[in-house]
Amino acid sequence: MNQDQLSSGVFFVVGCAICLYSLSYRLGTLAAPESGLMPFLSGAAIAVLAALGFILGTLRRRHGDGWTPLFRGVVWRRSLLTLAALLAYLFLQAHVGFAVTTVLFLGFLLRAIFPQRWSVVIATALLTAVVAYLVFEVWLQAQLPKGPFGI
Amino acid sequence: MDTLSSIGMGFQTALTPANLFACLVGVVTGTLVGVLPGLGPVAAMSLLLPTTFHISPVSAIIMMAGIYYGAMYGGSTTSILVNIPGESASVVTCLDGYQMARQGRAGPALGIAALGSFIAGTIATVGLMLAAPPLSRLAIRFGPPEYCALILLGLTTVTFLATGPMWKSLLMAALGLFLGCIGMDPRTGLSRFTFGLIELYDGVGLVPVAMGLFGVAEVLLNVEQSMRSTVVETKIRNLLPTRADWAASIGPILRGTGLGFFLGVLPGGGSLISSFAAYAMEKKLSRHPEQFGRGAIEGVAGPESANNSATAGAFVPLLTLGIPSNAVMALLLGALIIFGVQPGPRLVVEHPQLFWGVVASMYVGNVLLLVLNLPLIGIWVQILKVPYPILFPLILLFCLIGAYSLNNSSAEVALMILFGVTGYFLKKLEYEPAPLILALVLGPMMELSFRQSLAMGDGNLLFFFMRPISGIILSVALIFLVLPLIPGISRNKPTVEV
Repeated sequence: MNQDQLSSGVFFVVGCAICLYSLSYRLGTLAAPESGLMPFLSGAAIAVLAALGFILGTLRRRHGDGWTPLFRGVVWRRSLLTLAALLAYLFLQAHVGFAVTTVLFLGFLLRAIFPQRWSVVIATALLTAVVAYLVFEVWLQAQLPKGPFGI
Repeated sequence: MDTLSSIGMGFQTALTPANLFACLVGVVTGTLVGVLPGLGPVAAMSLLLPTTFHISPVSAIIMMAGIYYGAMYGGSTTSILVNIPGESASVVTCLDGYQMARQGRAGPALGIAALGSFIAGTIATVGLMLAAPPLSRLAIRFGPPEYCALILLGLTTVTFLATGPMWKSLLMAALGLFLGCIGMDPRTGLSRFTFGLIELYDGVGLVPVAMGLFGVAEVLLNVEQSMRSTVVETKIRNLLPTRADWAASIGPILRGTGLGFFLGVLPGGGSLISSFAAYAMEKKLSRHPEQFGRGAIEGVAGPESANNSATAGAFVPLLTLGIPSNAVMALLLGALIIFGVQPGPRLVVEHPQLFWGVVASMYVGNVLLLVLNLPLIGIWVQILKVPYPILFPLILLFCLIGAYSLNNSSAEVALMILFGVTGYFLKKLEYEPAPLILALVLGPMMELSFRQSLAMGDGNLLFFFMRPISGIILSVALIFLVLPLIPGISRNKPTVEV
């Protein structure tokens, strides 16, 4: 199996699921289309194109175009840690507030992904959090999440 | 109102302190985005969109337009000094610009890039000013079938020109159309594919999707690479080109301007394809084609002029037809809709301040960019030295704040992260996300015009071909769909990252 076969297989299932679910919204007739028609057509297009992609992928596979590892030659751990930091930010900001979460988030990324000196980490994280707070909360009046200290 | 008095009113609007400030912020941000590799104008505009909710629509659009054409200026600096394109439209500038820098001619290369961009941007704005009003008058006659056909043409051209296999681009467009269906059906009030989530009732937001696909995904892909770049160690002097440089460059600048504007107007066209086409044209026309790739100033002047000219050209279909020709314009369309402005043929009549204000701001912006990119070039060179390991957490923070401040909701942040991960895998599997963004914005418009057209034609699908304009447009769209099936054409089709 190669990348195109796998991805088009997934998209085929997605397209079929969209088509089936669209039926529950009623398609109507061509003269009087209803809410389900457009999602049905887009789902059908996804499924048909994915089927075409699967066939083309299979033909390429027969010509020796096999699976290429997605993470070869890269440090995937860094993307995973970055994603973990984003998710942690999402969950923490509601409980701890914008300021503290931002300092922790920046500090973690600066130290864990491409490790910087502690002085750079602390200075950048604190300074950015303060500037971001002043710009967004004070100047632009965006209502950033508040923590126990009101910031 | 004639064109002169209209543009006079436009300058009155563009030169108010608030709009002048918005223009300055836009072009500075655009140059910054252009200079910094790994952050394009789509990501930057989606990051800044939530912050524009606090200012007037005219200021917001002026600022976002400034980001777009500012990025074209800034991109050349990185291409010339680092040999890494700061922005995709500056890829081709690396070929000769970097060679010029290595030969100690970084100054003339940067100078001709800025001056060529200025000349092209200014002439192309005149083109926009002259082309848009008559096109708007023509487009007023368009009904739902014509709009539906135009949207389809836009999507097929983008997918035709996108990098990689066409089926992947079409699949992305179909996925975007589906995402555009999520939420309340405006005609029946029925909520579709919301699964009880109130946050989805208004549909999938453009900003979190664009931020995820272009901002977060790009960072996730970049951090797993070793980001090493070196700025050419050369003293930047003689920014003003010599008489010989001008003699060699003026032709490419003017030809690039014309070509760029024309390709910018076309759906699916844009800055990248314009710059490549201009480079190919100059190499073909040159008496010394062997010098291209070895530091020919024409190889910098032509493409840099073309990519700037294309940005002004891209505004023509957006402002006159309400049809974006690329992902950046799709974001601008989304922004206009968020501000309650319906882009299309009536925009010039109903919102003259916005239309002429934006046009006039482009003249102002080009002058500002010339100042930013010639006397202040040293600042951008210093910014180039900021390492990516310091930069990427700031980009992510900006994404997080931007997504949250849309509706003060963590759901938007979650959506952005979800699309960030999706975009990461899509890129890994070689799917271009730009058609998805374009289709997401155009989806609701397409659904409405499609359903209206079907009702008008009493369910007859041939109705689209019975009306001459929609028939011609649909035929062109069909040609674009069929062309890749012809073996010679599918191998030679031009491609572009939109």
